[in-house]
Amino acid sequence: MTKVAERLAAGFALMGGVLLIAIMIVTSINVSAFGLDRLARQFGSNVAALPGYEDFVRLAISSAALMFLPYCQFRRGHVAVDLFVSRLPERFRQSLDRLWLLAIVLLALFLAYWMLQGMLETQADNALSPVLSWPEWPFYLPGILSLLLWALVALVQAASGEEGV
Amino acid sequence: MFEREVIGILGLGVLFALLILRVPVGLAMIAVGIGGNYALSLALPFLKFEPYLKQFKTLLWGTVANYELSVVPLFIFMGYLASHAKLSRDLFQGFNALVGRFRGGVAMAAISACAGFGAVCGSSLATASTMGRVALPELKRLHYAPKLATGTLAAGGTLGILIPPSVALVIYAIIVEASIIQMFQAAIIPGLIAVLFFILVIALLVRLNPEIAPETATLSPEARRTALIRLIPVVIIFGAIILGLGIGLFTPTPAAAIGAMAILLYGLALRLWSRDDGLSLGGIKTSMLDTAVTSGMIYFILFGAEVLKGFFARAGLPAAMASWTATSGIDPWLLLIILLLILILLGCFMDSLAMILVVVPFIWPALVDLNGGDYATADSAAFGLGTEELKIWFGIIALVVVELGLITPPVGLNVFIISALAQNVRMGEVFAGVMPFFGIEIVRIALLLAIPGLCLFLPRLLSG
Repeated sequence: MTKVAERLAAGFALMGGVLLIAIMIVTSINVSAFGLDRLARQFGSNVAALPGYEDFVRLAISSAALMFLPYCQFRRGHVAVDLFVSRLPERFRQSLDRLWLLAIVLLALFLAYWMLQGMLETQADNALSPVLSWPEWPFYLPGILSLLLWALVALVQAASGEEGV
Repeated sequence: MFEREVIGILGLGVLFALLILRVPVGLAMIAVGIGGNYALSLALPFLKFEPYLKQFKTLLWGTVANYELSVVPLFIFMGYLASHAKLSRDLFQGFNALVGRFRGGVAMAAISACAGFGAVCGSSLATASTMGRVALPELKRLHYAPKLATGTLAAGGTLGILIPPSVALVIYAIIVEASIIQMFQAAIIPGLIAVLFFILVIALLVRLNPEIAPETATLSPEARRTALIRLIPVVIIFGAIILGLGIGLFTPTPAAAIGAMAILLYGLALRLWSRDDGLSLGGIKTSMLDTAVTSGMIYFILFGAEVLKGFFARAGLPAAMASWTATSGIDPWLLLIILLLILILLGCFMDSLAMILVVVPFIWPALVDLNGGDYATADSAAFGLGTEELKIWFGIIALVVVELGLITPPVGLNVFIISALAQNVRMGEVFAGVMPFFGIEIVRIALLLAIPGLCLFLPRLLSG
């Protein structure tokens, strides 16, 4: 089960990374178009930059950001402040750790539930992105799946009883 | 309404209790935010809980679907790509080829490389560990005193955080609604002062006690040439990003995207040139996974801060803090210094980003009120700065102070990292090595406090 959770979480994280590269490519095209446009204007012509560039970045990053969460959980990347807990007896430490992991599971499920409601509402309202006029609701979907996966990863961690660092 | 604020303060207490029990920061913030709002709805029936919960339909997506914030993962990705392409090594060896033949020069090269790499990488801890791996063996080979070698690297790790592009500054700017570009501009002079001061400290130390840096780097002409040739592209890429952002030539998101692209392409080109260098597919994959860990952490805390902010605002806490500071009659400068001391103290335990996210939303309204309110003009304000300039000045100082926590005995995190990297050097010795740098940092903070112009000169100049 741990392996499955790891594979899925890493897969989501890599998809988020691919979205980042997509943003990098689109930005490069956009900026080159601006540059070419300046040059072309000297000769009385013009080159169009990509319309709705900010829209695209906003939508792409909304998916990527949430897709990072499960893998961050898998690597125990969510920071906590270690003042003295690490000096407590192991049993106590482990129960504490497990408790917070279960709290994360609940939180992720809570957020997934409300985000699903949000998606249905956005779909019903037919909300569109300002410039590109893409419907916004499909961009909720990767987020909802990521939250569910986040809950799964934390649950697996709680069950395995390995203490994070 | 008195009861409201009591609930707010209780919430703050619970938050700290949870943090001490090692609850992940984001989770603690969200738990207190939601729990606190529930308590408010019980105490004050007109603050209903149902409508509050419904916010969560769009709150999370709304927080992450943010164009300005997209610079954060992009900068982080850029930093990891630079790290995996071993540009940190090229930077250090290049600087070493330039100044390594002077006494103490290798340590100075390490400081400069830390500043350049830290700027692009954006994390003090990552800079300390990356540069530690690159520079410690060389310092050891040349018989530098362990105290000097480790102190230099632990202190050097804190340098880059201020130099643009800085993720911490982006986040600060978003919280207080300042211009990211102006924050970057303001950071340049204080950042350069730090590099200069650190180099001066090394020069002074080796002059007073030449034995701590007994040998200088001797490179064959061949090796020297290779190191210098490799330095050029790195300096061009890093320099374009740092300066382009610093003087406001680029806006942050395109700069981050294109900077990351440039490093990706350069890394791939290096790889084609020689199989042992540059970015492999595995390196890109690892960079993506590391980016997911760091960005995931930041987004979780950012969302937590958003939820917590909603609770504190409903509890009337920032307003209460502000009116308390305004009526308490405390000297504004005294209070500012107390705030900074608290930041140093917290900086010893907490991740600097987490700290900025938790603490700044509280301190900021209080500070604005102390200064004379939102519409204070420079002549009548307590700190002699209008609100917009106060934002910039305080942000820079707060960041410097937070970073100081990383080298503050007995718990500075950078010191732990360097001590672990340099086997056989005890923590105490690293702390002793850090002390001269710590001292000069205090001088720098005093300078920045006394002369706000050091931060504000460039933003004033460049905004016309």
